Amino acid sequence: MSARQLLAAEGGNEFQAPGTEIFEWGPLWHGAPSWLTKPTLIVALSVIIVCGFFWAAFSKPKLVPRGVQNVGEVGYLFVRDQLARPLIGKDGDKWMPFLMSTFFFILVMNLMGVVPVMQLPAPSHIAFAIVPAAVVYVLMIFLSIKEQGLVGYFRNMMFPPGLPAWLYVILSPIELLSNIILRPFTHAVRLFANMFAGHLIIAFFATVAYWFLFEKLTPLGASLGLLGFVMTIIMTAFEIFVQALQAFIFTLLAASYIGGALHPDH
Amino acid sequence: MVRPAMSKEGQRPDPESDADHRAFANAAWSIPSYLLSGMAVYGGLGWLLDRWLGTSALLPIGVVVGLALALYLVYHRYGR
Repeated sequence: MSARQLLAAEGGNEFQAPGTEIFEWGPLWHGAPSWLTKPTLIVALSVIIVCGFFWAAFSKPKLVPRGVQNVGEVGYLFVRDQLARPLIGKDGDKWMPFLMSTFFFILVMNLMGVVPVMQLPAPSHIAFAIVPAAVVYVLMIFLSIKEQGLVGYFRNMMFPPGLPAWLYVILSPIELLSNIILRPFTHAVRLFANMFAGHLIIAFFATVAYWFLFEKLTPLGASLGLLGFVMTIIMTAFEIFVQALQAFIFTLLAASYIGGALHPDH
Repeated sequence: MVRPAMSKEGQRPDPESDADHRAFANAAWSIPSYLLSGMAVYGGLGWLLDRWLGTSALLPIGVVVGLALALYLVYHRYGR
């Protein structure tokens, strides 16, 4: 819903702050299949953009890179040296395809929140945060059991060495809940909540600016509208930062979970 | 695909600092879920006991005790 539609729908003379209805999207056009909504379109576009970008960058690699290959290599080195090697270790390079796809897919999905016309970060719908988090979760459990064995996995997780035996009875439930249930939960919610709140904040300031500068222009309200306009720009810049940061943190946690599964000593 | 000169620059030869780095990142990111988990387990236990015994003080006590236990666990795992 655009700001104009939103205000027209309210119809009142009072300013109405945008609520959760700005996250509700029907089919793209009348008669479109019910799954074809703006968020799914954004996800599909993100996949195409990421694939297209890396195809352009690496399909014909030159020894001396130039243009888009340069950008692709900087991105690759960033993920490898900041995430894969520090968090997984020597065998981190093996996980680069996964981490690279995760990072750039989520980065592009998030950045769609500030791209004109799109203006919706796909993970502001929790489903688009849950699915990548669930993939990482299944991968983490699979790798842990493969590397440590089923018994070894639960022993390493629930019984950290060096505690008196009676304390295990008290502390093991905390470990179990934390590792098995809360980890994937916080992993998904962290991404979702940041995108949700960011989108709501931008929508709020944009609505303030639109309402007080165009819809109901009064001498007193104009300054408020101007403030909303300036804040929209500031918060958009801030959101670009948050979107990049959350994509980084999501991938960092994925790498950390994979590293923890492969090297259970910590 | 990656220039040879670049791969050399990005190497971390020291496995010791590697492990430290991992431990630090793991600690920083698992503390919130430990704290939540401690509060949930013992707060939940307190809530169940409250329902069973008809009291109302055990839920807050459980939350605080769970938080303390979770902090101890974090300290034991990462703090030393």
